[in-house]
Order: sequence, then C-alpha cells, then structure tokens
Amino acid sequence: MRSTTIEILFPRNLSEALSIFSDAKENLKIIAGGTDVVTGIQQESKRFIDTEVLVDINRIPEIKGIEVRKKKISVGAAETFSDILRNNLIQNELPLLWKACSSIGSVQIRNRATIAGNFVNNAPCADTVPVLLVYNATVEIESLSSKREISLQEFLQGPYKTQLNVNEIVTRINIPIPSKTFVGDFYKLGRRRAVSISRITLAVLMDMRGGIIDEIRIASGAVTPIGARLTGLEKFAEGKEVNDRFFKTLASKMGEEIIKITGLRWSSEYKLPVVQQMFYQLLKSIEQRSL
Amino acid sequence: MNKEFSVVGKRVIREDGFDKITGRAKFADDYKFDGMLYAVMLRIPSAHAKINSIDFSEIENNEAISAIITSADVPGIKKTGLIKNDQPIFCDEKVVTPGDVLAMLVGNSENELRNLVKKAKVDYTELPLITDPAKALDQEAILIHPDNGSNLIVNHHVKKGDVEKGFEKSDHILEQTYTTPLIEHAYIEPEAVTAIPLGFNGVKIIGSIQNPFTARRIVAAVINLPLDKVQIIQAHLGGSFGGKDDTMCILSARAAVAALKANCPVKIRYTREESILESYKRHPYIMNYKVGFSNSGKIIAMKINIIADGGAYASMSPFVTWRSVVQATGPYEIENVHTEVRAVYTNNPYTGAMRGFGSPQPIFANESLMDEIAIHLGISPVEIRKVNALKNGSITATGQKLENHDVNLIQVLDKAIYAADFQNKWRANKKEKPLTKEFDFNNPVLQDYQYVEPDKLIQKGIGLAVSYRGCSLGAEGIDTASAYLSIQNDGTVYLLSGLAENGQGMRTTFAIIAAEALGILPEQIFYLETDTSRIPDSGPTVASRSTLMGGGAVRNAAEILSGRLKKIVKEEFKLSEEDVVSFRENLVFSRKKGLTAKFSEVCKLAYSLGINLATIGYYKSPSVHWDEKSGHGDAYFTYVYGCQVAEVSVNIGTGEVYVNKITAVHDPGTVINKLGAEGQVYGGVTQGAGYALFEGITTEKGLIRELNFDQYLIPTSKDIDVIKPVFVEGKDSYGAWGAKSLGEPTLELTAAAISNAVRNAVGKRFFNLPLNLEEIVLGKKLCPQEVKRGSLQ
Ligand SMILES: Cc1cc2nc3c(=O)[nH]c(=O)nc-3n(C[C@H](O)[C@H](O)[C@H](O)COP(=O)(O)OP(=O)(O)OC[C@H]3O[C@@H](n4cnc5c(N)ncnc54)[C@H](O)[C@@H]3O)c2cc1C
Repeated sequence: MRSTTIEILFPRNLSEALSIFSDAKENLKIIAGGTDVVTGIQQESKRFIDTEVLVDINRIPEIKGIEVRKKKISVGAAETFSDILRNNLIQNELPLLWKACSSIGSVQIRNRATIAGNFVNNAPCADTVPVLLVYNATVEIESLSSKREISLQEFLQGPYKTQLNVNEIVTRINIPIPSKTFVGDFYKLGRRRAVSISRITLAVLMDMRGGIIDEIRIASGAVTPIGARLTGLEKFAEGKEVNDRFFKTLASKMGEEIIKITGLRWSSEYKLPVVQQMFYQLLKSIEQRSL
Repeated sequence: MNKEFSVVGKRVIREDGFDKITGRAKFADDYKFDGMLYAVMLRIPSAHAKINSIDFSEIENNEAISAIITSADVPGIKKTGLIKNDQPIFCDEKVVTPGDVLAMLVGNSENELRNLVKKAKVDYTELPLITDPAKALDQEAILIHPDNGSNLIVNHHVKKGDVEKGFEKSDHILEQTYTTPLIEHAYIEPEAVTAIPLGFNGVKIIGSIQNPFTARRIVAAVINLPLDKVQIIQAHLGGSFGGKDDTMCILSARAAVAALKANCPVKIRYTREESILESYKRHPYIMNYKVGFSNSGKIIAMKINIIADGGAYASMSPFVTWRSVVQATGPYEIENVHTEVRAVYTNNPYTGAMRGFGSPQPIFANESLMDEIAIHLGISPVEIRKVNALKNGSITATGQKLENHDVNLIQVLDKAIYAADFQNKWRANKKEKPLTKEFDFNNPVLQDYQYVEPDKLIQKGIGLAVSYRGCSLGAEGIDTASAYLSIQNDGTVYLLSGLAENGQGMRTTFAIIAAEALGILPEQIFYLETDTSRIPDSGPTVASRSTLMGGGAVRNAAEILSGRLKKIVKEEFKLSEEDVVSFRENLVFSRKKGLTAKFSEVCKLAYSLGINLATIGYYKSPSVHWDEKSGHGDAYFTYVYGCQVAEVSVNIGTGEVYVNKITAVHDPGTVINKLGAEGQVYGGVTQGAGYALFEGITTEKGLIRELNFDQYLIPTSKDIDVIKPVFVEGKDSYGAWGAKSLGEPTLELTAAAISNAVRNAVGKRFFNLPLNLEEIVLGKKLCPQEVKRGSLQ
C-alpha cells in the first residue's frame, strides 16, 4: 500500500489540460472513470505505482459528446459506456459497438468507465477494441503543440501499451459509418454474465454480395495478446463463396492463425477449440440474419 | 400454516432493513475511538516454513510504530482453536499456511504501517509442502503439527449391517469418486474489530463477530483474564455464512493483546486480499462411493470413504466431518452402510464452518450417484429416490428411528416435481450419449465434425436433488439458548437473545415470535444490542439453530410474562378460574366476557401492582446421544427435508451453464417470517449455484491465486433467472411452534441438482465441482502456472 498522497487536478477545458500535460513526467496520469487507474493503484500495478499526480478529465467539454462529423461518428474520449448506450446513433449505426459496451462490467462500472480509458489501457480483454478495429476507427490525439489523427490499429502497440506520449491526451474517437451492406456481430465469452473479464471476444463485419464475401473484417480480443485484426484470415476469405463448409474452413484457419500469433499457453487447451467453435457459430448467425 | 397465528407466517420487513440500505447501520469498521491505533500484520509468502529469526531493527525506532506485537506479548495461551488448540495467535516458530501471521505493527497510520511491515526482515527456511490431502497420511509425509503425531485431524465412522454381504446380495454395483473445491465464504464485509482497554475492567471489543461468546472465551484465555473482564459487542455484521468465527476470535485476541500493551484502542481491519488469504474456508472433499442395489433400485449396501482437507488447522473439522459421516448416505433407508470420514492437515488454507457444514460435499456425491443408479436401471430420478426414501419410522444409517416429527421427504419431492413438471421435461431432455465433443490438444485445429450445428449448441436439462438435515448441534455438544424479554408499562418490549444477528434476519424472527405470544406487533419490540455482558451464553449462532433454539427461548420468555399478565387480568377483572384469557392485536380477551382491556392498560396495571415484567426465557434441546466407537446414535433430535429442481441451459461449445430456474421446496417446520424464509432460499440457492458452476480457491506452491473478486467468481443476479421458493410446513413439537431450520438446507443441495441437470442436458456425468467452462468442455480444470494477476503489468 502506498503511503504518499496523490494530487488530483481538475482542468475545466482542453487548453488548461494540455498545458498541464505539456511539462508532464511519467508520474502524471490521466484519470477518466478511474476503473482501471484506481484498481491499478490499489493493486500496486507497476504501471500505476509511481503515480503522484492524477488529472481528472471529466470536466473537459471538448472531449465529451457524440456527433456526426464528415460521415463519421465522433465519440468524445470521456464518454462513458452508459452515455454511449443511451445514444440512438450508436445503437442504429454502430450496433457492434453498442453491444460491446453493453457487455462491459456492470451498471456501476459503465456509469464511470469511458471509451478512451478502455483502449488507452489496452488490456488484452478490452471489449471495445476488436469492435473499434473492425469499424476502422481513428483516434484524435492532442498535445499543446500538436494534433494528430491515426488509426486505432496503429495507436495500439502491445498489451497495456499505446503510442500515446505523456504530454498527450486522446480527445475523440472517430468511426466511419459503415455502408448498410455490412452485416456483423460482436461476441463475448466470460465466465459469467456480468462483471466478467472476457475469455474470448470476436468482432466480424461482412459485406456479402450474391453469396460471395466481398469484404470481411475480423478482429479478436483476449485470445490474442491485444485486440487485433486478423488480416491473413480476411484476405483468405475475400472472394470466397459463403457456405457451411467454408465457414468451418475459415474457423479452423482462425485456429491456425491464433497459434501462429500466441503459441500455446496454459489456456490454449480450452480457448483454441472454443474460439474456432464460436467463430463458426458467429458466422452462421450473421449469415442467418442477413438472409 | 396454522390459521390461528396473527403474525407468524406473514411477510415482515426486517427491523434493520432501513438502516442497512440507507447506510445508517454501523458496521465494525464504522466505529472510531479517541486515540485509536491500527494494527497491521507481518506475513511471509510461504505456505510452510521454519522461522529462524525476525529482525525489526530497521523499523523498531520508527516514530510511526507505537508497538510491535509478537508471540512474546501474549499473556495467556499462545495457541488456540475452537476444538483443538493448534493455531498460534502469532507464529513465531513455523508458518504452516500462507495466511499465518508472525507479528503485528501498531501505530496510528495504517498506510505507513503497511509500508514499514515490508521492512521487517524474516529469515526462514522453506519446508516441504503438503497440498494434496490424499497424500497427507502417507508414511513419508512431513508432519505439519508434530505434536499431533500424524496429519490426521479426526476419523469418524458409521457402520450398519454388513456392507460386504450387502454387495454380494446386490444385482448391480457402481463405484465413483467425486471431488469438491475449497470455497471462500465471500461475505461482503471484510473482517474488522476494535479492542478498547478498560484498565482494571479488562477489555471491551466491538467487531464483525459471528459468535460473541466464543470470541469472549478465546480472548479471555489469550489475555489471561476471567470471562467477566472481556466484553464483546457485536457490530452490524456484513455477512458471515459461518466465516466470522475462528478468524474473528483470533483477530479479537490480537487486537486485545495490542490494546493492552499500547494502552489505546486498537483496530484491525482487513482488505479483501487479507481476508481471503487468512480466513478459513469450506473443506474440499474427495469422496469415494460404492453402492450395491437390486434390479428394482433398492439400495442394499453403501460404502463411503471420504477425505476432507482440513488445511493447516483443525478448526471445526471434527464437527464438520461428523455431520458428513452422519448424513453421507443421503436421506435413504439403507440396510448396510459403512462410512469412513477422515479430516487431514495440509498446508492449504485451513477449513472450518461454512453454511452447509459438511453437507454440500456428500450431497453432491450422493445425489449424483442416485441419478447414475436411475440411469443405469433405466428408471427415473424420482422413482429411485422414492424406492429408498426415509419415511416416518425409518431407521437412519446411524440407527436412529425417525419419529416425533413429519418425515416429509416424499412430500417435498412430490411438490417439487409437480411444480417444475419434472418427469416430462427430464424424459424429453434425456441424452443417450454425450453431446460434448472430444478435443485433442495435439491437433488443436478443429476438424469439420467437431463443429456443433447451431441449433444443437444450447442444450436444456433438468435435474433434482433431495436432502435431509439434522437440526442444530446434535451430538456435537450441549444445546441451550436464552432470551431476555422486558415489557414496559406502555406495552412496548425489549428483547435480546444470546444468539447473534448475522444477517439472517434473526432479530425480526424473534420479534415475531415474541409478538405472537404477547398478541402485539413486531414493531413494538425493540431488539437490544448483542453484548456478552448483558445476556447468558446461548452457544454459537451456527447449524441453522437460531430460529429453533433461540426461538424456543423467546417463546418461553414471552409465555412466562404473558402468564403473569393473564393472572393479573383474571384477578383484576374478576374472571372465573376456568375462563381463558388471550392476547390479540394489542387487546386482551376473556373467552366468556370478550374484550376486556387494552394490552398497554394491563401492562400499566401490572407495573402499578409491582409485578415483575422482565424475564429470561430458556430452551434446552431434547437429549441426543452418540457412540463414537460404534458410529451409532440418535444424532439429532429432529430433521428437516428439502428438494430442489434445477433447470439449465448448457452451451456445449463453450461450456457455459445458465441456470434458468431453481424450484426449491423445503420443509423448515413452521415458517415464522415468510419474507425472511424466501430470502434464505434466494441467497442459499445463489450460493449453491456458485458452488456448482464458478467457485473455487486454487493454489500454486501453496499460495492462493484468487485473492479478490476479480478472480474468485461468485454468481451475479444475471447468472440465475428464476428462483421459486415453496414451503411445506411439517409438524414438529420443538422450538417455537415447530419452527426448525432453513438457512443451510437451502444451499446444500443446489449444486447436486444443477449437476444432475447438466447430465440430463449433455448426456455426460461430471464428478468434480465446479462445473466451469473447462470442466464442461475438457472434463478438467485449467490453471495458470503463476499466481500473479494478468492486469498487474
Ligand atoms: C469491476 C470491473 C469490471 C470491468 N469490466 C470490464 C469489461 O467487462 N470489459 C472491459 O473491457 N473492461 C472492463 N473493465 C475495465 C475498465 O472498466 C475499462 O477498461 C474502462 O473502459 C476504463 O475506462 P476508465 O474511464 O475507467 O479509465 P481510467 O481508469 O480512468 O483510465 C485507464 C487508462 O486510460 C488512460 N486514459 C483515460 N482516458 C484517457 C484519455 N482521454 N486520453 C489519454 N489517456 C486516457 C488513463 O491514464 C489510464 O492509463 C472493468 C473494470 C472493473 C473495475
């Protein structure tokens, strides 16, 4: 247990926050919902043990709100999952994101936890990551001196690692509205039905034309070191005819792909057969629904 | 239900409900005192080690430390225990399990102490570990408590008839081995206690203590003071489930030692991690059952061999395993029985009392086996149970004849199968062969045939289990309870019993009983604070005994006082000798003259006449007897019966089991508070479902993996759909109008019912709890090699 006290700052707008970050050191951390930060400090996690200053970003209006900007849905970094679940735009246009958000933690957690907190923390089991990846989301990042927008894929570097610098903040996440020809689903497996760390997550978006896969985007979480697109699998599937045989082949191919990425671990004996099985089931249910 | 009752059997909101939901109720950690210090524990990350030395030189002069407490500071007995004195207050020689505490730092900043405690240098030598209870009695096994001469804590047996001859006469024989895991109580409130030194008056202790009188006995022995110099007050308790007994006695003793040395109030409060690390748990059992039966399903012989993992200390193991040995055959009349139960020491977390107390384990084994017999013979689970069920006048495995109460086993079974439409569903869901797929880890990429057709993914199943349970302590020991009742001159009443409110709603139950007997309302009764200096010792609040025993005492007290009031009424209102006075709805009636007076008027009158309207009621259980040598006796003076039907959906791809419905039919005798009784069912079933599907403490090199609720998973409200409580109120002469036990019966059979439902759904039997994802898909458990949490990067 730490005995030093932690200072908490509450900037009221973005520029105030950016000037705080401009000369920030490693001992400064952003806190949004705090559902990862506070538990991390309490558990003496290496990532948080040296924290001396927390900057609470919940009062910054610029990083709130959900709106349409240039055919993209732009979600403020500090939007909580409860906010997102109440938004019709998300429910209608980004149903996979809505479903992933609804599966997170419990009502109490969703009332605090934010979307940026989820992918900046970048745990292997962060539930929104696979979904945001198949939606080709991009991340807006600002510092006092710069502003950049990069794809989420690039932003995420490894378990609990991202491209974010200490003087930067994620302001928004922008998600292109997929064309109506895409169908897809999000799948989460946990050990129970609420407050459950994902054992497996899958996100699939598929554009099928005349029984042929025109485009498919597949991402996994918890079975890979971080949520990731399985591009080899996507390439393999494109142009193929949709049928039961092929779904089985594709699912088994996912098994091979995951072995390549992660090797065999203590959990593989269970997770490997199950991820293939449930990927197949997911493909079948998407096909069923698009008929 | 008895039609004459006016409050008994109604739905009464618990008296502490509003205080608890509004945050007003004071729990142990809410108490603060001037000059209060904190105590923080010194432990080492080892499950078995010899302590060579402890060096405090780096911190002993630190200002933040008011006192360092070690075994040398303990004025009285240095080792304690509920049955055997084998557990050191501070381990200065040896650590035998990872929760063990070597010493304690006392000071006013808990945070600073937690940092300083890391600077105590402990030199220790690791000793070989015993974590497998099946190996604890091996010749070459290291002795965990050498004084004990072996790693055997206790060995109980029950013998009836001749099992070998019975097997010879049997048409069929089945033999199976079942296991159950180590279970954490998971009370919402971690342990907390404060000891306040009172100079010549000893010490006062306020804490989250399940059994104040047990704590008093142990504290007094540890600080070497007479019982009257140790006053224990129970704070509102945030759950216990049997778990705030030994641990809280020891924490109270440590706090008392520190308070006397520092001469200041000292508080100990645990984090969740410390709570799971140090507190005792429910015993894992390894159970071998061999059963011989006839073509018609009549069980002729049953031979049972059980090893219970007692962990590092004896705690309640002798009594827990005694209940197991008595009840292990299940509620069936069997001619030839031989049951052996041994509890052994290991370096695992120690195990003691937990809701169920030695019954959930054998019920899981026994009720799984009953279904296997039925399947083997091609008959239904209902039929196999009816053929063998205990009935009025049956003789149990221990040779006890069941009489003097309604033996309602078949009644609860019938009611449950009717309510759940069991027979039809069971037949419809029945699978001839296993539906789960086999996987080969050497060929992890799935073959086409290993994929499940989408409409076969979710399989429904239904299963049932029955149980009987001996009420209260049985032959464990003397069984009495007391209750204090004092009527004020306006008709309001003070009530206190020597049993404790552990969240079960006991105070409300007792208020209803007193209100019924006095013809007043439960709201008129104020339940006093539980304090060992105010009321006679009534034994521990365990064994689902408070309603039965304490209820008997409350009724006795109320009847003594109502007798005095009736006498005055007769005299004052000049009623004839044969007239009958009764109290109802705050009014006093004469059978002949009708309404005579208000209750409050009679109370005032009694007061003015100088009549004593305070008393202590008392209840003593009828005698039971037990012959440990022959394993025979009338183990308990009465029994309760239950049947639960579980309906589940199993995902055969992932191994997820969802509980769609539990129909829980119980005969607790007379129901006192309907709302409280239903609450017991909801809670017990949920705990039982956790036992069935999720829960289990595992260790790696003796160290616990699941130290918080991110890893130790208990069910949420989303994991179980419908729980339907149904009560059959059998007649009994004991306690308050035949109100018996419900708390433990509701939990003990749920896992067995769920496991049987899973068998019905997927066509495969599972022998090892919990039936988690890996168990269902792979038929085994998987654990990471290290204890560290994934998120600690
Ligand atoms: C009981 C419980 C259940 C949970 N269940 C789930 C679950 O089911 N699924 C799941 O995916 N997760 C779950 N989590 C994890 C957690 O809730 C999520 O990861 C959540 O999205 C984190 O958001 P937050 O706002 O609380 O982040 P915080 O804890 O405030 O921050 C997390 C990290 O992100 C950084 N950060 C936050 N916002 C920004 C920003 N705008 N710019 C730059 N950096 C930022 C912080 O510095 C920190 O490093 C659970 C956690 C708990 C305690």
